[in-house]
Amino acid sequence: MGASATTARGRELLARLGVAVTLGGAVLLLIDLLAQLARVDLWIIGGELAFSQLMNYLWTGLTLGLIIGLAGVGLSLTYSILNFANFAHGDYLTLGAFSGWSVAYVIAGLGTIDLASLILVDAPSSNVGASVTNTPVAVVVGLVVAIVVTVALGLALDRAVYKPMRNSEGISLLIASIGVAFILRYLAALIFGTGRRGITAPSEIPSMTVLGVQVNAHQLTILVVALVAMMAIHLLLQRTKIGKAMRAMADNRDLARITGIPTERMITATWVLGSGLAGASGYMLVLARGTLGFNDGYLLLLLIFAAVILGGIGSVYGAIVGGLLIGITSRVALVWVPGEFGRPVAFGLMILFLLFRPSGLFGGVETA
Amino acid sequence: MSDFKTSDDGLLQVSALDAGYGDLQILTDVDMNVDDGEYVTIVGPNGAGKSTVMKSVFGLTTYMDGEIEFRGDEIQGSNPEDIIHLGLSYVPQNGNIFESLTVRENLEMGAYILDSVPEDQIQAVYDRFPILEERSEQEAGTMSGGQRQMLAMGRALMLDPDLLMLDEPSAGLAPDLVEEMFDRIDRINEAGTSVLMVEQNAKEALRRCDRGYVLVNGENRYMDSGEALLGDEQVRQDFLGG
Repeated sequence: MGASATTARGRELLARLGVAVTLGGAVLLLIDLLAQLARVDLWIIGGELAFSQLMNYLWTGLTLGLIIGLAGVGLSLTYSILNFANFAHGDYLTLGAFSGWSVAYVIAGLGTIDLASLILVDAPSSNVGASVTNTPVAVVVGLVVAIVVTVALGLALDRAVYKPMRNSEGISLLIASIGVAFILRYLAALIFGTGRRGITAPSEIPSMTVLGVQVNAHQLTILVVALVAMMAIHLLLQRTKIGKAMRAMADNRDLARITGIPTERMITATWVLGSGLAGASGYMLVLARGTLGFNDGYLLLLLIFAAVILGGIGSVYGAIVGGLLIGITSRVALVWVPGEFGRPVAFGLMILFLLFRPSGLFGGVETA
Repeated sequence: MSDFKTSDDGLLQVSALDAGYGDLQILTDVDMNVDDGEYVTIVGPNGAGKSTVMKSVFGLTTYMDGEIEFRGDEIQGSNPEDIIHLGLSYVPQNGNIFESLTVRENLEMGAYILDSVPEDQIQAVYDRFPILEERSEQEAGTMSGGQRQMLAMGRALMLDPDLLMLDEPSAGLAPDLVEEMFDRIDRINEAGTSVLMVEQNAKEALRRCDRGYVLVNGENRYMDSGEALLGDEQVRQDFLGG
């Protein structure tokens, strides 16, 4: 047997071993999960887990995953069309959240609460009473403002920073975007302060119990908005001329140019879509958590990257599926690990997945 | 008129062109012309700058000096996005289809600059290449080499161009498909479209074209009718393998 044949056999064995270990681990976790649900306790296996608790993890993971997925679509689009990973994307979420909730607060509390504290999203949340049922107009207008402001921010930053660097290497753009991220983050800290604040009023959010899970109106809002947005993105990319041209440009930029597709207009469209989705995600992250801090978008960015990479970087549909997987994993992981470890587990899933499928879930499918 | 041109007011006129990539100059003083309805081939050894001529026409290289005129308008140094508006289409050798788009979407992109999708033109391309109609909803990247080449040409024909530029259309095709591909190009030319083609398969290309250029080291070496070049002892020995 030649050396190369031996190596190939060795690799195959290793791969098989990897699959075996992974499958074994998965089966163990599943058995443990079932044992916990059945309240069986055998040595390291089992424990006590209420079925409603598991469903609750799944549901909150789903809402978080939808937000990560929407943000991931924007990140993936800018990556595939502009050829760089935008590290400032997370801070677009933060800026979208602050601008949107600032306007929502002004609408909700105008006349009864001091204007400055409303604009700075500083007023006590229980006094403002912001919720989708209590102050529906404020919440909806806030969402629109979050999108519009983030789009304006994305376009302005493209003009000021990324456009002059259009022909630079991806790595230079990436580093520039890290700079932009710092500027945005500390701009938010400067204007709104560094304290984490409650935004929505918990007492004003109606909820009901479905299959033992507490489902509140804000989570339902996230579900509806995210599904509508995803359907709209799908139709845009598959049915409209500009969407098809965006896919064409992501696929093969040189060919797009000689076909007469206007590069700059497509880049503008990409920023509008990507930034708009980032603004909406940031705004809805507050609906999911009830609180907002100047670091929130940045902290979520790692999970967004994980989702995009898991889904296959450059793929829009991959970003959505990756977002759901990462969101749900980070929550369901709480069955086995304490709260602060949900994030590493999500990354573990991503790494494990990439070992078996290096190009990601939808890798090689590009934007289609 | 230089030694390497047959007219000074043809469809495409390349005059004393210097071009390259960044600081690297590839073409020196290249003269070339394609007249209305003509079928012109560029042959020459690897690295002679054959493809660079086409890329330069489409604004994809660094322009240094000289002139490129299309229908009398100077186009050297233009933006690649604008060239297609003039009635030129270009099929690069590699990456000449949008792999993740369907066959039909590829054709639609070929007519991007029009306000609406020209259904009659799509049908005309389907009539010319029936396999594309059969595969219209298939993802382009999943097709065979020959089908991809047809799609690339179909995409380039969507605007019914005056001049079609083809870079190595027979590259990577199975031997039995090469002949078929050349037949298709003949028919496109017979329908009135001028053709400028770079080919590695020099003998076959020269047999079929009206006129050929031999490019060496980024400079003009010979220009004559395809037949005359095939008959030239020196050209045969140096460039056509005897």
